[in-house]
Amino acid sequence: MWIKLLVLAALPRYDIMFLEILKFMIEQLEGTVWAMIYIVTALMLEASPIIGYFNLKRDMTINSYPVFSNKEIALIVSGIGKVKSAMAATFLISNYRITGSDILINIGFCGAQAGKYPLGTLLLVNKVTDVDTGKDYYPDVYIGDDLPKDSVACCPRPVGDNDNQYECSLFDMESAGIMEAAYKFFNTQQIAIIKIVSDFLSPENLDKQVLRSYIDINMPILDRILNELKQLNSMVTSLDFEAEDKLISLISQNLNLTSAMKQILETEVRNAKRKGLKILEILERHIESKANTKPEGKKIFGEIIKDIKQQAF
Amino acid sequence: MEKSLKTSSSRLFNSIYIEEQAFEYPITKEIIKSHPNSPIIKIRHYKDVFNRPKQNFYIQKHNQSLILAVKDKNFLYKGPDVCQNFGHSNFYYTSFLLNCIFDCEYCYLQGMYPSANIVAFVNTEQFKSAIRDVASNEPVFLAASYDTDLIAFHNVIPYMDYFHDFFKENTDILVEIRTKSGNESFYRCHEPLENIIIAFTLSPQGIIDKFERYTPSLETRIKAIRTAISLGYKIRICLDPIFINPESDSLYEPFFKYIFEKINPDDILDLGYGFFRMSRDFFKRIESKSNSRLFAQNYSHYNDVVSYPPDIQNEIKAKHIDIISKYIGKEKIFAL
Repeated sequence: MWIKLLVLAALPRYDIMFLEILKFMIEQLEGTVWAMIYIVTALMLEASPIIGYFNLKRDMTINSYPVFSNKEIALIVSGIGKVKSAMAATFLISNYRITGSDILINIGFCGAQAGKYPLGTLLLVNKVTDVDTGKDYYPDVYIGDDLPKDSVACCPRPVGDNDNQYECSLFDMESAGIMEAAYKFFNTQQIAIIKIVSDFLSPENLDKQVLRSYIDINMPILDRILNELKQLNSMVTSLDFEAEDKLISLISQNLNLTSAMKQILETEVRNAKRKGLKILEILERHIESKANTKPEGKKIFGEIIKDIKQQAF
Repeated sequence: MEKSLKTSSSRLFNSIYIEEQAFEYPITKEIIKSHPNSPIIKIRHYKDVFNRPKQNFYIQKHNQSLILAVKDKNFLYKGPDVCQNFGHSNFYYTSFLLNCIFDCEYCYLQGMYPSANIVAFVNTEQFKSAIRDVASNEPVFLAASYDTDLIAFHNVIPYMDYFHDFFKENTDILVEIRTKSGNESFYRCHEPLENIIIAFTLSPQGIIDKFERYTPSLETRIKAIRTAISLGYKIRICLDPIFINPESDSLYEPFFKYIFEKINPDDILDLGYGFFRMSRDFFKRIESKSNSRLFAQNYSHYNDVVSYPPDIQNEIKAKHIDIISKYIGKEKIFAL
């Protein structure tokens, strides 16, 4: 609101048209819900190139985990393993009010069978198998058209070349935990598991500088992936029902509606708004209505529902 | 949701999921060969992917994946009451495919399935044996293209190539293949059979433009009908669903006239007529997630079916049947 006042005060009075356009733009901006990107990495080594690239700042209000954020990204360093990754993902998203446009991403290293992908290759994961439980998870991958996509086996310990008994060609230790948490809170297209090949199943004595360089060289690709994900998920706009909910509460009070009737009204209003109907106008027409008896309230409630349905024609 | 939800992929399918047990079937081998650029994901059971919670039907619809599976039970279902049986009491339907490549705004599939991805069953021989079992006692009317459009999908999986000879040998099975497709080559490639009916769903162009995304125009469908007739196919016309609202009402009379200007009514086996209707459960599911105004209107509920109020239906139906019967005998009109 203060931005609006400041801009309005600074404008020359004669330019009414410009003023109206600007007012409209500000209203649009005020109504915009910015999508949040939640990133989980197991190691600080994986996180630090991302923190630098997106200029994330440590959130000093959070002590349980290292969390770094800006206005559209929040990154948490979970520690190694699927339980830790599930805990950290849940902790992170519990600290924010998640919407239908938000995205949950796991970025981290994986081991690969030799020969299939070069070291440092970035892959999008389209199937995660938890080797402990045998459970499979399937994130929908609609982005990164030109990038390799593959399945990953999530193992409880690092997989070496000698103990590889699995059918998969990629191995990590966090993806199943992320998927378990993600299935609870997100739609299947809001999740991305991104892996970078760190070794050919020889996870011992890896050079930290080399590992960091694998993330560094992939940052432009990662940036592009985030933009594609944001674009995709912004198409599933989550509407804001705050104004409607206020009117529904007022109407429910005035008409002594039961909880069930209020719930029906909320559902009808949400459905109608989603279909582009001017629902506030209808509700505003009824805010003055008062009911002294239950039958009166029921009658007016019926009229409101009828008005909403009528507008669809 | 008005913006395009399609990502930039040039592939027909975003991904191809294949059940472990489906790999050895000819359909699977053909699909793998003809779609070398689609990522292949091995799965245990199609429901592990298809029935996942929290899928976005509308994003998937624009980025469909194909799921190849082996059907293990329920190869046929009894025909539901909301569907026209055209006077056949032993009415079944079967689904080689779940979901459709077209995107009709009114389609019940949005409420029936949790996913917009297409499931294709590859074990055609087991379907044949199940159909044969049901038809062993008495003749069967079998709708084979209800939860999909087999002819529109023919260039991806040519199911009719697998079933044509089977239907030719089993004349006790009367098969209806419902379609909106304009794929004329389908009719040129297959010999017409006495027991196969091609049922074309036709709508006024205004309705096609408004509700039937990615479907062929009325003109293209009529061209396909004429080709099929000329090659000896039995043709059914389905005027279904009919919509009632001030915008649509004026479209129907010229539409009926147009159809019979282009198609000789004597070349038509029969005609189905039905209003927009849907099971209450499906309607409620779609209502809560769809942006379509079609699902915000006031409908009547009767026997768990959502449709227009019966008195309005009767009034409009009488008017429409009066016009249609000028072209085609009333005994050939099946109205729900």
